[in-house]
Amino acid sequence: MDLLDRYLNAVAKGLPEAQREDILRELSEDIRSEMEDKEADLRRPLAEAEQQAILKRRGNPALLAARFRQDHRSVAFGPQLIGPVLFPFYIKVLSFNLGLTFIIIGAIFLTLVVSGQNITFNAVFSSVLLQLLIQLGAVTLIFSLIQRHLNKYPDSWNFRGMGDGVHLDLKFPSDIKLAKPTDGQVSRFDSVSIIVASAVALVWLSEVRRHPFLIFGPAAYFLQLAPVWTQVYGPIVFLTSLGVVQAVINLFRPRWARLRTLVSLVLQAASLAVLGYLLKAGSWVTLADSAGSHSAGYSRAAELVNQCVFYCLLVAAVISVVQLALKIARLMRGQRNPSSLPPVDVPC
Amino acid sequence: MYTVHYMTPGTDNHDLFENLRLELRRGSLILAVLAALRKEHYGYTLRKTLGDLGVAIDEGTLYPLLRRLESQGLLLSEWREEDKRNKRFYRLSPDGKGILKRLLAEWQSINRSLDGIV
Repeated sequence: MDLLDRYLNAVAKGLPEAQREDILRELSEDIRSEMEDKEADLRRPLAEAEQQAILKRRGNPALLAARFRQDHRSVAFGPQLIGPVLFPFYIKVLSFNLGLTFIIIGAIFLTLVVSGQNITFNAVFSSVLLQLLIQLGAVTLIFSLIQRHLNKYPDSWNFRGMGDGVHLDLKFPSDIKLAKPTDGQVSRFDSVSIIVASAVALVWLSEVRRHPFLIFGPAAYFLQLAPVWTQVYGPIVFLTSLGVVQAVINLFRPRWARLRTLVSLVLQAASLAVLGYLLKAGSWVTLADSAGSHSAGYSRAAELVNQCVFYCLLVAAVISVVQLALKIARLMRGQRNPSSLPPVDVPC
Repeated sequence: MYTVHYMTPGTDNHDLFENLRLELRRGSLILAVLAALRKEHYGYTLRKTLGDLGVAIDEGTLYPLLRRLESQGLLLSEWREEDKRNKRFYRLSPDGKGILKRLLAEWQSINRSLDGIV
């Protein structure tokens, strides 16, 4: 796939579907004409750098695509948080997340109904509302941060490291002295994503112990986490924190890519051990003290939840084994062919 | 208590000027595109022609504008092969010709008034 196709692919992602093909044909024709004109002037084919310069001049593909959209909706609470460029992606992500969450909530309530529990409208409503607010807040926050970056650095995109497109390259103000990224380095976008996601996970982990409602919804009235979760809580927090430490180091030292490889391997192996320990436990939720006199029906619900958790843990363990095997294979290939390894200037 | 607001002359004035310049250009671009399309063009040659005449316009502005003018019935377009490549050719529609005539008269009238003011 040549540079022009990659650029057009990136533009296509933001175009209105009904006119996508037509717009791409026209844009492609325009760019090819410009390249041909330039080649005629120079009397030779354009080098890759010259093609890149022509495409760079056309600007960020996301911004270019946005100009063809009729939909100029945005999210604003006073100042604009999410502009028309990101709005369609924001809606897509939000819809996907909410759809998935509501399917899960629906499955939980269905299980409760099947097991003979009385489900009140208030319980369903409060559970749906809570999830709606959490998802809305989290997705809006992430997109408004991306929008801020886009406003500040509209030309911050490149062709590097993408098979079939282009991507934003996170830049920071020069006064905080961050090293500039080059090939084979850890992307700052990855590092920032890991830090944000892990911070959210740590907050959730600490809150879910005090407020089981966050994980069980209305079922928290009669369900609680089994003691095995208390045993693995410390290791899970430690592993998540280890990921944050690695991401922070790579944010300021992107050339220490080997560090990420090693930490990622350790985290994968440790996660597998935690999953194995959890699988051995056999029971992951138990009846809460408040279950009281209706314990027969509640026991059935707890049994169903335990079965679901078992299959989820099993699938997670299988995926984890495959990922670990792939990472080890990649590392061993890298050892045999050192040129494919990331830079080795990790402090030891 | 009061706050003193400092204005950075370079940056703020530059941004303000850019916004006003873009606003001023926006209307003129429509006029320039309509006038240039009295003769048939495809996107790239239209952009080049306008650029050569001192009205530089980037493709992110031109193509959405062409689509809008076409949807308003002021332009006609057709895909046609030229030099072994398919290109989309635009030209002014009969409605577009009428509108252009009226817009040009309006523009000349504004120009005369501005000359008197300035």
